[in-house]
Amino acid sequence: MTWDWFKFFAVAAALFWFLGAWFALREKGVKKAVILTVTGLLVFFSFIVGMWISLERPPLRTMGETRLWYSFFLPLAGLITYVRWRYRWILSFSSILALVFICINIFKPEIHNKTLMPALQSPWFAPHVIVYMFSYAMMGAAAVFALYLLARPDKINRGVMSLCDNLIYVGLAFLTVGMLFGALWAKEAWGHYWSWDPKETWAAATWLGYLVFVHFRDNFPNSRYKTALVIILVSFVLLQVCWYGVNYLPSAKGISVHAYS
Amino acid sequence: MWKKPYGYAEGFAVCAGLFLTGLLLQFINGKTGSAFLTFPYNLISGGIIAAVPLAVFLFFRKSAFYAWLSSVKSAIPAIISLLVLVVIMGLTRQAPSSETLDSGVLERIFGFSQMTSSWAFSLLMVFFMIILLLVILKRITAFRWRDTGFMLNHSGLFIALFSAIFGSGDLQRLSMTVQKGQMQWQAQTEKGETVELPLAIELKQFTIYEYPPKLMILDNLTGKALPENNPENLLVERSPMTGELAGWNIRVSKYLQYAGQMVTGDTVRYFEYHSEGAVDAVYASAENRKTGAKAEGWVSCGNFMFPFAALQLNDKASLIMPPVEPRRYSSDVTVYQKDDKTVEGVVEVNRPLAAGGWKIYQSSYDQTMGRWSEISIFQLVRDPWLPYVYAGIFMMLAGALWLFIFAPKKLEE
Ligand code: HEM
Repeated sequence: MTWDWFKFFAVAAALFWFLGAWFALREKGVKKAVILTVTGLLVFFSFIVGMWISLERPPLRTMGETRLWYSFFLPLAGLITYVRWRYRWILSFSSILALVFICINIFKPEIHNKTLMPALQSPWFAPHVIVYMFSYAMMGAAAVFALYLLARPDKINRGVMSLCDNLIYVGLAFLTVGMLFGALWAKEAWGHYWSWDPKETWAAATWLGYLVFVHFRDNFPNSRYKTALVIILVSFVLLQVCWYGVNYLPSAKGISVHAYS
Repeated sequence: MWKKPYGYAEGFAVCAGLFLTGLLLQFINGKTGSAFLTFPYNLISGGIIAAVPLAVFLFFRKSAFYAWLSSVKSAIPAIISLLVLVVIMGLTRQAPSSETLDSGVLERIFGFSQMTSSWAFSLLMVFFMIILLLVILKRITAFRWRDTGFMLNHSGLFIALFSAIFGSGDLQRLSMTVQKGQMQWQAQTEKGETVELPLAIELKQFTIYEYPPKLMILDNLTGKALPENNPENLLVERSPMTGELAGWNIRVSKYLQYAGQMVTGDTVRYFEYHSEGAVDAVYASAENRKTGAKAEGWVSCGNFMFPFAALQLNDKASLIMPPVEPRRYSSDVTVYQKDDKTVEGVVEVNRPLAAGGWKIYQSSYDQTMGRWSEISIFQLVRDPWLPYVYAGIFMMLAGALWLFIFAPKKLEE
C-alpha cells in the first residue's frame, strides 16, 4: 500500500460516510446510518492498516500521517456521539470535517518515509498519538460548533450547550489519557515523565484551558453560555499551537524533542 | 471586592497579588532555585500546602473564606493564572534550570526564561495546590459514590503533582560515558560536576543498526532540498532499484553498505570494505524527465574517515545522500553494585535497565563516529518518589475513564 492508493480508499470511505449522514438526518434511518458509517470506517481503516504494514511502523510520525488518523476519528467520534445522544445532524458534521482533512492529504501530500527515530520505537507510541487524535477530533467538533453558535446566538439553548459539554468531557478524558500515556512513555524513553519540552508545555496549557471550561460550566450550568463558548475557542487555539504550532514557534526552534517532520 | 460571599474578583485579585509578589521576590532574591525543594525547605513549603487547607478545613469551616477557597470561584482564577504563566513559558525560550542567569534583560528579571523556578510560578502553584487539597477535603467528608470520578481526578492530580514537585529535590539525573571494554563508576551531574556512584557499568559491546541510506536532490545555490516546499527523498532499500526525485528518474545500480573510497586522478570510486570506517555508498544514474539530461556516479554521505560525495546533475542540482539515520542502538553491559551483586543486560532506547535503585537509559554515543562508535553514553536516574507519582497518574487514568463513562449522564439529570 502506498499513498497513491489513498484517494481511492478515502473517496470510497467518504461516500459511505455521507450516505450514512444522509440517513441519519431522517427519522427512521438510525440502523442504516450506523451500518454505512461503520463500513466507511472499515474501508478507511484498511488503508491505515495497509500503510502500517508497508511502512513497517505505525503511520503516526508525520503531520500527514496524523491527519490520516484525524480523518478516521472524526466520523468515529461522530458515530459514538450519534449512537449515544442521537443528534441527527452530527454525522453530516463529522463527515464534512473528515473530508476537509482528507482533501488536505490528497492535495497537499507530504513525503512519507519509513524511518522512525529510536525514541519513537515504543509500544507507547501508537496509543499515545491515537488517543490524542481522538481527543483532537472531539475538541475540533466542539470548536466548530461553538463558532457556529457564537455566529448564530439565537440557536444557543440548554440542549446545544449540553452537546458541547458532552463533546468536551469526552475530549478531556482522552486528552488526559493521552497526556498521561505520554508521561509514562517519556519515563521509559528519556528518563523523566515530564520535562517541560515545548510540546509538553503547550499540552499543559491546552489541558488547563479545557479544565477552565469544565469548572466554568460546573459553576454556571444554565447561564453565561457565550463565555463558555469562548473558552472552548481559546482552548482550541492552544490545542493548535500544541499540535503543529510549536513547529513554527521561535521559542521552540531546535530544542523540542517532539520536533519530527 | 472583599464583600462576603467572596467570588471571582477576589480570586483574580489574590492571583494578581501572588504574581506581583513573585515578581518582587524574584527581583530581590533571584530565582527560587531548588530552595523550595531541598531539605529542610521542602518540609516548609510542603507543610504550607498541607497545613493551610487542613487548618482552614478544621477551624474555619463556617467562614466565607473556606466556602470561597474550596469553590470554583477561587479554582478558576488559579487555573487561569497558571495557564497564563504556562503560555508565557511556551512563548519564551527556556534555559536549563542548572544555568544561572545574569540579570539585566527584562524577561530574566521576571524569571520567565526559567519559568518553573520563578517565584511567581511557585507561589501560584502553591495557591493552586491549596485549593485542590481543600476541595478534596470538602468532598471526602461528604463522600457519595457518584463522587468517585471527582475524587480520582482531583486527588490523583494532587498526589502526582505533590510527589513530582517535592520529589524533584531528591531526583538525581546523571550522565555517564563508558568506553567499550572498560568499566566506569563516575558520572556527571547536569551542572558538570563529577560524582562517584555506588555502582559501576562495564560496556561489553555497543551496537548500532542503521536505516538504509536516502537520496535527495539539493539546489546547488541555496543548498535546500528539492522540490523547494515539499522535499522528496528516496530510500535505498535494495539494489538495483529505480525511483523518482524532483523531476529526475533515478536508478540505483549498486549499493554498498560497507564501502571504502579510492581516488585516482579526478575519478572517485567505491569498493567493498569491511573494516573500521566503512561508509554507505551508492552508484546512481539520473535522467531528467523533461530535458533528458543524464548524469551518473557515486554518492556517499561520508563519515569521519571518508569525505562526502555528491553527484552533480547539472549546474542547478546535485544528488546527495544525507547522513544515515540509526534504527536502533544498544549497549551490552554488566552493572556491578557495592554489595557484590551484578546485573547483566542490554540497555536500549525505550528499554532502560534497573539496577541498585537506579534506572540506566541509553542516551547517546559518539555521533561523529556513527556506526563505529566505541563509546556509549548513559543517563542514570534515581527517583525515590516515582511510585507516588505513578499512583497519582493511575488514579487520574481511572478518573478519565470515569469521566468518559459517567460524567455526561450526570449533566443530563
Ligand atoms: C484532573 C483534572 C480535573 C478534572 C478532570 C476536574 C473535573 C471536575 C469536575 C467534572 C467537576 C464537577 C463535578 C462534580 O462536582 O462532581 C469539578 C469540580 C471542581 N473542581 Fe475540578 N477537575 C480537575 C482539576 C481541578 C483543579 C486543578 C482544581 C483546583 C485548583 C479543581 C477544583 C474544583 C472545584 C473547586 C470544584 C467544585 C467542587 C465543589 O463545588 O464541590 N479541579 N472538577
